[in-house]
Amino acid sequence: MDILYLLIPFSVVLVLLIVAVFGWAVNDGQLDGFENEAERILLDEDQAA
Amino acid sequence: MAEADARLLAPFTTWPDGPAGVAASQFQVAGMHCAACSGIIEAALLKLPGVEGASVNPASARLALRWWPSRTALADVLTALQSAGYKATPDVAAPARELRRVERRQALWRLFVAGFLMMQVMMLATPAYVAEAGELSPDLDRLLRWGSWVLTLPVMAFAAGPFFSGAWRQLRAGRLGMDVPVAVGIAVTFAASTGALFDPTGPLGGDVYFDSLTMFIALLLLARWFELGARHRAADALEAVAGALPATAERLRDDGTSERVAPEALRAGDRIRVAAGEAFAADGRVLAGQGWVNEALLTGESAPVAKAAGDAVVAGSLNLDGPLVVDVQRVGADTTAQGIVRLMQQAQSQRPLASGIVDRVAAGFTAAVLLLALAAGVGWWWIEPARAVAVAVAVLIVTCPCALTLAAPAAWLTASGALARRGLLLTDLSALERLCAVDTVVFDKTGTLSEERLQLRRHWAQGADADALLAVARSLAALSRHPHARALAEGAEAGCWTDVREVAGRGIQARDATGTPWRLGAPAWVSDRPDPAARLAFGCGACVLWLDLAEAPRADAAEAVAALRLQGRRVRLLSGDQPAAVAQMAARLDIAHWRAGATPASKLAAVRGWQAEGERVLMVGDGINDAPVLAAADVRIAMGQGAMLARSAADALLVSNRLLALPQALALATKTRRVLRQNLAWAALYNAACVPLALAGWLPPLAAGIGMAASSLFVVLNAQRLNR
Repeated sequence: MDILYLLIPFSVVLVLLIVAVFGWAVNDGQLDGFENEAERILLDEDQAA
Repeated sequence: MAEADARLLAPFTTWPDGPAGVAASQFQVAGMHCAACSGIIEAALLKLPGVEGASVNPASARLALRWWPSRTALADVLTALQSAGYKATPDVAAPARELRRVERRQALWRLFVAGFLMMQVMMLATPAYVAEAGELSPDLDRLLRWGSWVLTLPVMAFAAGPFFSGAWRQLRAGRLGMDVPVAVGIAVTFAASTGALFDPTGPLGGDVYFDSLTMFIALLLLARWFELGARHRAADALEAVAGALPATAERLRDDGTSERVAPEALRAGDRIRVAAGEAFAADGRVLAGQGWVNEALLTGESAPVAKAAGDAVVAGSLNLDGPLVVDVQRVGADTTAQGIVRLMQQAQSQRPLASGIVDRVAAGFTAAVLLLALAAGVGWWWIEPARAVAVAVAVLIVTCPCALTLAAPAAWLTASGALARRGLLLTDLSALERLCAVDTVVFDKTGTLSEERLQLRRHWAQGADADALLAVARSLAALSRHPHARALAEGAEAGCWTDVREVAGRGIQARDATGTPWRLGAPAWVSDRPDPAARLAFGCGACVLWLDLAEAPRADAAEAVAALRLQGRRVRLLSGDQPAAVAQMAARLDIAHWRAGATPASKLAAVRGWQAEGERVLMVGDGINDAPVLAAADVRIAMGQGAMLARSAADALLVSNRLLALPQALALATKTRRVLRQNLAWAALYNAACVPLALAGWLPPLAAGIGMAASSLFVVLNAQRLNR
C-alpha cells in the first residue's frame, strides 16, 4: 500500500493539469458552439471566428 | 447636444419626447448574479446628475436608463457602473455579443473547475466514509485530507469568486442579497475544515467538509449556468431580429443602372432591387415582380407569404424567389424590425412591480437567516461545541433565498420569450398577470378580425359579359393606388389607357384604345341608376359592371374565436361599421354578441358598462383609432406593424397578425401564473421543512447544499417548461 503515498499526490497534480488543459480549450473558444470546430476546416484562414 | 453624440447614441437610444428631451438608452450589464445587484446598480446611477431613472431587470441583465445626455457624458455613466463593480456595454449587437461570449466562457470555466474538482475531492473523501475502523492508517487519512485541501483551493479561489465579489458588493452597498449567506457559508466551512486539517484536536473539531463544500459550489454554479443560458437565449432571439439586415442593398438609378450601397445610405423614395435569397434592407412596397417572402423573423410564421406589386415588405424578411423591385418607405430606426427590437428591449429591461416586493422579502429573509445561523451556532456551542460550526453552516446554506428571488423573473422572462416567438410582443410584463383574469375578449372589426384590404365578393352586369368586363376593369384599376382599386386589381397588369384622370372621392376615368371614355368608381358617379347593392361600378354609358367588395376575415379568425370560446371566455365584436357588414362578419365567425355603428365614445361606454358588470375585458384593436377604448380595457392588445408600433400604448402587440396567438397567450398566461405559484410554494415549503431540520442538527452541510442547489434548479427548470 506504500505506493499510495506516491499515487495520491501524483493524481492531484494530474487533475490540476487536466483542469488547466480544459481552461485553455474554453478560453480558446473551442466550446463556444458544438459545430464550430467541425466546420473550421471548411473556412478560410481569415474567416475563422 | 452635439450631433456626433446623437449619432453615437442612436443605435441603443430613443428620444420619447423629441430630440431635445430625455433619452432612453439600453445597456447590457455583465457581472450580475442576483436580484440585489439591480438595486445596487440603480442606486449608483441615480446619484449621477442628469439621470432620471434607471431600471435593471435581473433576469435579463438589461439596464434601461432615462437620462439627459446634455448633462452627463456616456463615459461617466459607464465609469459609475464600473466603480460599482459591474461592466456595461451599450446594447448594440457586437459588443453585447462579445460580452455574452466572455461571460459564457467564464461561467463554463468556473463550472468545470468546480464540477471536475468536486468529483476528485469525492474520490479522495470516499475512503474515510467506507473504511472500517482501523483500516485506514492515520498517515494515509491525513494524506487524503491534504489532497482534498489542495484540490479545494482552486475551487475556493477561482470558481467561488463570483459569490465573494457579489457578497462584497452587496455589503458595501448596504444591501443583503443571496450572495452574502452563500459567501459566509462557504468561507466558514472552508476555514473550519482547514483548521481541522492543520490541528485535528483544535477548537474547530476534527471533521473536514471539503466534499460538501466543493459539491455545494458546483451545484450552485450549475444552477447559475442554466439561468445564464436562459438569459442568453432571450438576448440571441433579439439579436436575430436586429441582425437580419443585409450588408448591402442594390439601389436602382433613374437611368436603369444600379449600384450597391450600405443599407444606411438608403433614403425613403429610393428604389432597390432584391434578388432571390436576399433580405430586404428597408421597409417598403413592391413596385414590380412577385414572389414568396419569408417573414418568420418578425412574425414567427414560417410559411412563406406571397408578395406582388403593391404589397408591403418589411426589412429583415427574406426574399425566397424572383427578384423584386421595392420602393423604400422607411429606413433604419423607423423600420418595423427596429421598432420590434426596441419594444423587446424595453420589455426585457423592465422590472415588474411584484418583483420589487419579492426582492424586499428576500432581503428581510436573508437578514433573518444570518441571525438564525448565528443563534444556532452559539446555541450548539453550549450543547455540543464540535457540531456548532456544522449546524451554523447548514442553516446558512439551506435557507439561501435564491429560489425565492429567481422564481418570478425566470417565469416572466421565459413566458415573454415564448410569446414573442408566436408573434405577440409584450411591452408590459405585468400584462401576463392581468391576462389570467380576462373573461371577455372584445374585438374591433376592421384591421383586427378582418384584413385591412378588401376582396371582390361579387360582380354582375345587365346584358353584358361580366367576366370580360371585370378583366378590363382590373386593367384600369391597376393604374390607381386607391385601396378599392388595389383590391380589385389584385396584381393585374395595367392596360393600355390614355387620358387617365383620378377624381378624388369619385374614382378613375380614362380612354381605351378606341377613345371611349370609361369610369371606375362610386356607382352614382359611373351610372345614373346606381345599383344599391354595389360598392363600386365600372362602365361607359349603359354598359355597367357592378362590383361588391367586402372585408375578408383573417384566415385564422374563426379558429381563434372558437378557441377563445372553448377556454370559457365571452367573445364580443364592437365595430363602428354599418350593421349589415358587422352582422355578416359576426355570422361568419359565429360571434353572438356584437354591436355595430359604435362611435369611439359609445365604444368606451360599452367597455365601461361590461366592466361595471364585473367582466374583465381584453380589448383587441388596431391601436390607432381605438386608443381611448384600448386605454379603458383591463388588458390591451394592438395589431401592429410599421411605424405605429412604437407609439402605441398597448400592453402587447400582435406583430404576426395571427389571431390564434391570442388564445395561446391567454393559456400561457394561466400557465405562467401556475408555474410562478409552484415556484413560490416550493421555495416556501422547502425552507419551512429544512430550517428546523438544520437547526436540530439533523441536516449535514452536504445535504443542505444539495437541497439548496436543487431548489434553484427546480425553479429555473420549472420556468423553462413555459417555453414549450
